[in-house]
Amino acid sequence: MSDQALSAPWRLPLPHSTGGRVLVAIRLAAVLALVGAAATTPGFFTTVSLFSLLNTMSFIGCVAVGMTFITLSGNIMSFALSVTLSTSGIIFIAALPLGLAGAMIAALAFGAALTGVQGAVIGYFRANPIIVSMAALALITGGATLITQGHGVYPQGNATAPLQGRVFGVPMPLFAFIVTVIAAQIVLSFTRFGRQLYMVGSNWRAALAAGLEPARIVLGAYIAAGLCTALAGILMAGRYSSGDMELGIGYDYHAISAVLVGGTAISGGEGSAIRSLIGAFIIAVCQVLLLLHGFSTQVQYLAIGIIVLVVIMLQTLADEA
Amino acid sequence: MDVKVVLQAEPVAGAAKAAAPIAADKMGDSEPKPVAGGAAIVGVRQLCKSFGPIAALKDVSLDIGAGEIRGICGENGAGKSTLVKILTGVYRPDQGAVVVDGVAVSVATPRQAQELGIAIVAQELSLCPDLSVEDNIWLGSLKVPFLHKQPQLRKRAADALALLGASHIALDVPVASLSMGERQLVEIARLLTRDARVLILDEPTATLTDVEIERIFAALLAVKREGRSVLYITHRLAEVYTICDSVSVLRNGELVATRPLNGLDRTALIELMLGRPSGEMYPEEARARGAPALVVDGLSLPGIVDDFTMTARRGEIVCIAGQVGSGAAEIITALAGLVHDASGRVAVNGRQLKLGSPARAARRGIMFVSGDRAAEGVFRRLSVLQNLVATRLREHSLFGFLRGGALRAAASQLAKRVGIDRRRLRARADELSGGNQQKLAFGRCIERQANGVLLMNEPTRGIDVGARAEIYRLMRSFCEEGYALLMASSDLEEIVGVGDVVITLYRGRQVGHYRRGEVTMHRIVADITHPADAAR
Repeated sequence: MSDQALSAPWRLPLPHSTGGRVLVAIRLAAVLALVGAAATTPGFFTTVSLFSLLNTMSFIGCVAVGMTFITLSGNIMSFALSVTLSTSGIIFIAALPLGLAGAMIAALAFGAALTGVQGAVIGYFRANPIIVSMAALALITGGATLITQGHGVYPQGNATAPLQGRVFGVPMPLFAFIVTVIAAQIVLSFTRFGRQLYMVGSNWRAALAAGLEPARIVLGAYIAAGLCTALAGILMAGRYSSGDMELGIGYDYHAISAVLVGGTAISGGEGSAIRSLIGAFIIAVCQVLLLLHGFSTQVQYLAIGIIVLVVIMLQTLADEA
Repeated sequence: MDVKVVLQAEPVAGAAKAAAPIAADKMGDSEPKPVAGGAAIVGVRQLCKSFGPIAALKDVSLDIGAGEIRGICGENGAGKSTLVKILTGVYRPDQGAVVVDGVAVSVATPRQAQELGIAIVAQELSLCPDLSVEDNIWLGSLKVPFLHKQPQLRKRAADALALLGASHIALDVPVASLSMGERQLVEIARLLTRDARVLILDEPTATLTDVEIERIFAALLAVKREGRSVLYITHRLAEVYTICDSVSVLRNGELVATRPLNGLDRTALIELMLGRPSGEMYPEEARARGAPALVVDGLSLPGIVDDFTMTARRGEIVCIAGQVGSGAAEIITALAGLVHDASGRVAVNGRQLKLGSPARAARRGIMFVSGDRAAEGVFRRLSVLQNLVATRLREHSLFGFLRGGALRAAASQLAKRVGIDRRRLRARADELSGGNQQKLAFGRCIERQANGVLLMNEPTRGIDVGARAEIYRLMRSFCEEGYALLMASSDLEEIVGVGDVVITLYRGRQVGHYRRGEVTMHRIVADITHPADAAR
């Protein structure tokens, strides 16, 4: 694609303003610091930790790509993606008697339906997306816990074995993630839906006034988010050979961190799936580094919390620059 | 009521503190003199300010006398707002200084500016809607002790309002219940209680009705009688002539001239602003009128517009003239499909159209150019190219996939058609000037079969004199291709200048219907203010 104006998300960030350049410098410095930390951490460059890194990145990444659609559409984020992940994983395991493909389709359809309903409420009723997602979180958690009685579901035999294998020597989760990123980026950059998503996210009123149908676009964004999240649910359930409500805990938070660290604008209309891939990679590296240094999960949350705060502050600066 | 004593500007305490001991005579011999009013209160000397490579102000010196109302005119980007921001302590000058009472001072923060007596009536008013008028007047004032419901403060607030001729505003009602004009009066009263000596107003009338504008003007004259000064920034030349004593014209960051308004005619003023002869501002009248493109019968918007009926023919510019709140703008947005509870029969090119959906209206050839470019006009974060082709993605895509080449070609053609430099296709929309953004909004509305209807609200709001003429020419050329154009405006000069048909509106009811040539500004003013009716 030769034309940069058409495929803005692919364009290298070459800011015109001083503020923008400072921002790029800060990002570069952060990445260098991360590389330095990785290089000096014993055991980072071993097969085991690299594999765990790539798996972590793939799971976070799939949800992050889904979240990217929501953020781009101007609806900030959804708190309900974690439970969407968990419940899709449960549906996948429960539906395995239908065969692997059937179970996957069932889980994907379920995930898309969960977020689709939220998207419809947000799009057609202009409801506050954060509140809707929190209500959905409560509803889904409550409903799912009632039905499963808090128990996990487990597959018969090794029906999920194909998901633990490799494709062209690449672990399945990573492969699925890469395919997701490519597909999402193609949708964003080269389809009418993608372009309209940027418009709606950039300025809802203007999109409405121009004769687009913003509510439909937002619905589409949420369905895309549900599909990506359900895929993460399938991959995780497959990897751990079980489905329960614990699967997705913390993933909406990791995902929005990845989206923001990648540089997608929290206010919508600017960003890409590729950026979220980079964000997911950085978050995963941080997690593995903290793990290798023996820090607990609580400290990981703390660290990622700080990173997100700093990124949001930098974004505000960039908007003013 | 002894208003005068209470509100007498007190000696400014902050001035002495912030004053640097630079004698005025060292400031060079290009000492400007106030052209009207008494001794200079506030001025600037050899002010320079650059942003990167762009010089926003170059060697600007001026003085404002006590009791002078000074207009500041210039095109967008001439340096008006930079000047204001330096005076109010938002920006610091690269060179030169602000002078108060003949002494160069440093104005480093907005607070320091206030202490020096320089106050701006913010465009986005800085009032708290849920607090009472009195609380708003005293909010944040240093003179207010901890227990603040003091009768003395209450009296000063009341006096300030009375001075402005606004004693009808009750002190205890929440600001939210006031009209925009009344809020502006409260804001001015608030600045007066803080001993503002120079009031800066930046496009204060953009959102006001004519009656309210009159009130603001009366208030400004009262401020002037107090010996305080006003710096009045506006695009509306008529207002400069109504209220100002003198005018300073900025062009490309330089002060072109400061003149008293007596003896300066309007053409001369426009030429000063443009730096060239103004040429013909308004286009010719419609040459040919075609079949009715838009027929509106009995359009009603509950509580706003009652039984509005009109016909717009191809090739015609139809103007709906009305004040803010008259329903003129709402008629346009309703026809664009943006109002939910609109009722009435609307036919486009002979076929009925159900209102309420902009997408449906767009499919039938109704295009809408909003008066509020930032909020519903352009996609500011997207490129010029993406903005231009925003509504025509369908015709340039295959199975949902965009055809990049076709889109680029289309955008390039549209840019040429509306006069945007094609090299700017990749720039972000918010890097363009207001005039160019408006052209962008136009470009988006061009269809392949030119038989649609173009709806516009305030087509030149916030657009400078130079770009205005271009927008009008563009509007006319659209009509000549076969569009019908329906616009609402509160700029009377514009209405008389471009309208082939003028419909006047007062409180949601049609008053008059005129053809070009039959209508004068006086006629329109009489219609839309409806004095006989307003008196009751």
